[in-house]
Amino acid sequence: MDGVNARVISDSALNVRGLSKSFGRKVVENLDLTIQPGEFYALLGPNGAGKTTTLRMIAGLMRPDAGSIEVFGRDVLADPLEAKSIMAWIPDEPLLYDKLSPLEYLEFIAGLWRVEPKLALERANELLETLGLWPHRHERCEGFSRGMKQKTVLAGALIHKPKFLLLDEPLTGLDAAASRLVKDLLLAETQKGAAIILTTHILEVAERLATRIGILSGGALLAQGDLAALKTQAGLEHGSLEDVFLHLTKTI
Amino acid sequence: MFAAPGFPWLLRHELRVLWRSSILVRTHRHVIIPVLVSGALFQGIALLLAHQVVAHPISQPTLLLAANINIVFLFALMFSKAMTSSIDVIYGRGDADFLLASPIPPGRVLAVRMLGVAASIAAPWMLLGGVFGNALAIYGQFWGLSVYPMFFAEALLVAALAFAVVVVLLRFISPQATRRTGHTLALLTGVGIFIIGQLPRFVPKATLGQFWWSLLPGPDGGGLPFLFARGLIGQPDALASALALALAGFCIVWFFLAKPFADGVISAVASRPRGRADAQNGKFRASPFAATIAKDMRLLFRFPGIVTQIIYRSLTLVPVVLILAGRFHMGGMGNGMAATVPLLVFLAGQLGLFFISVLAGCETIPELALTAPVPASTPQRAALAASAYATIFILAAPALAVLARAPELLLALIIGVTGVLFSNLLLGQKMPIPLVRAQFGKTSTGTVLGLILGVSVSSVWSLITWVAVAPNPLAWLINTHS
Repeated sequence: MDGVNARVISDSALNVRGLSKSFGRKVVENLDLTIQPGEFYALLGPNGAGKTTTLRMIAGLMRPDAGSIEVFGRDVLADPLEAKSIMAWIPDEPLLYDKLSPLEYLEFIAGLWRVEPKLALERANELLETLGLWPHRHERCEGFSRGMKQKTVLAGALIHKPKFLLLDEPLTGLDAAASRLVKDLLLAETQKGAAIILTTHILEVAERLATRIGILSGGALLAQGDLAALKTQAGLEHGSLEDVFLHLTKTI
Repeated sequence: MFAAPGFPWLLRHELRVLWRSSILVRTHRHVIIPVLVSGALFQGIALLLAHQVVAHPISQPTLLLAANINIVFLFALMFSKAMTSSIDVIYGRGDADFLLASPIPPGRVLAVRMLGVAASIAAPWMLLGGVFGNALAIYGQFWGLSVYPMFFAEALLVAALAFAVVVVLLRFISPQATRRTGHTLALLTGVGIFIIGQLPRFVPKATLGQFWWSLLPGPDGGGLPFLFARGLIGQPDALASALALALAGFCIVWFFLAKPFADGVISAVASRPRGRADAQNGKFRASPFAATIAKDMRLLFRFPGIVTQIIYRSLTLVPVVLILAGRFHMGGMGNGMAATVPLLVFLAGQLGLFFISVLAGCETIPELALTAPVPASTPQRAALAASAYATIFILAAPALAVLARAPELLLALIIGVTGVLFSNLLLGQKMPIPLVRAQFGKTSTGTVLGLILGVSVSSVWSLITWVAVAPNPLAWLINTHS
């Protein structure tokens, strides 16, 4: 590895090389992906493209068959605990205990990430206020709407101030106001230097939030770049992201 | 024109769901053989009992009284289960929402659900009673087979009553309070039965005899209060009347209470429980282990029906209390203090198995801890610690009371409790007992194999400590038979 590449790797928020995973059939195949600090990266793809599997491997939930993953220079495969300490993962289904209140849930998450208790409580209160959950902080999550659950999970993901966020369909179930709130919150995180990788089927979200977009199909990255670059790659200078996506994935 | 699926179609669906979530189907296939062996054993015992009944016929009034006592006890036991099932049917099963959102009339959905409750509470008693009924039939006493229709008739009536109580309660109090009331009623019923069962220890025989004598039916067969009893001993008119009465009660409750309730709005998620500010005291934990234990303890003590379940499982404490109170005697055992050790060891094993099974069932999002920077074993270790802590917390008072009377038992008690907890907590983590109803579309945790193995492990440790502490472990048996 030459000096330039080594510097790129160590400075990157995420550096994935040759990532592969198969479950009988290839789900992710020889994937290379680099995301810089402060970058908002949207990973798009049709159903079964391998988006969630990629995110799960990066989050340390699944071991790849081949390849390497580094998050801010920490090797996810060799030193998963060190890598997980700066990551937060939000799956498409809210990871919540129905019998806990939001405040109790945040206490649990803060404990798992060893956030200093006084700091964690302050941060929890701040997040609950920001996300409009303060009046419900002592209510059990079992009666929450999907949007409230999603906001609670987001508060959990942010309480330990992760440097790298993996978001799998994070805006599912949110109303327009809550969706705007969450988008603003995520953009604020990137401005503070955190990197975000997000999967979504709502192309408008990717178009408005992402600094770069990657299109995955059949486990391989078909194209990536900002919207203008994608349009050029697809030969659709005047098309929308939807046109580009459908053209590249050939789903029409 | 669209025609909604009919009652039989829906009933078939309900019975299929009940069957697939039943213990028998969720059981590991290797358990089927022991279950069949146990069934054959039960049938053998029932044949012996039936032979005694046939060989020593008793008078009609006494037979009627015995049948009525069975009916009353069964009513109480069925009611206890029906109350919790009725609440679960409305609030605990996600597919209620699914069905109520379909074009099937809501009243029809609830009628099928009520029938499902009746079937589920009748089934175990029909199996148990059926063994005895079959044995009587083998000896030519075909009236024994009336146990099947009569137990189902009783279950119909009980399910209707339980539904009525639940629906009425829901008009005045929240679903959570109704659930608590249901569990409390179930608990009081269970404890009441237990207390009645213990009466012979405290009430003089003559007084009890007079009491039973006063309950014997007159020459008219006892009238309406003995209707089900007469049906149970095979009187055809009483059997038909009891069935008709049960069906009428079921239909009345359905038409006047359940159907209007179902036609309103019911939803498993319609109600959001109010929170308690003091449930989280404003202090956060610093370590992952402490935070996970705190979470586990909360999940444990918020498990629906936890108090009822603990009290039922803690009935082993009754003989311990009786021994401590000097009211329990067994030949050759002196004051019986030695017997408290195996009893407490057994209880520790059963409570530990129960708590770890609850936590295994409540762990709906294991992936969360896996994304955290903690060793993968942290959640398991925390669950073991929380279960052990809860068990020891419950055992502390009786154990201290025993040790105050017989300090020489301390070592055996510590070894026994440690051993049984270690064995059963590890077993329960791998093979939790079936406790937690699965969410709609999810597979439930728990196997009967875990339950059987757990009870066996508790029994073995109990036996080991008994052999260790009793001066002559078989003395009570020898003295009883000599």
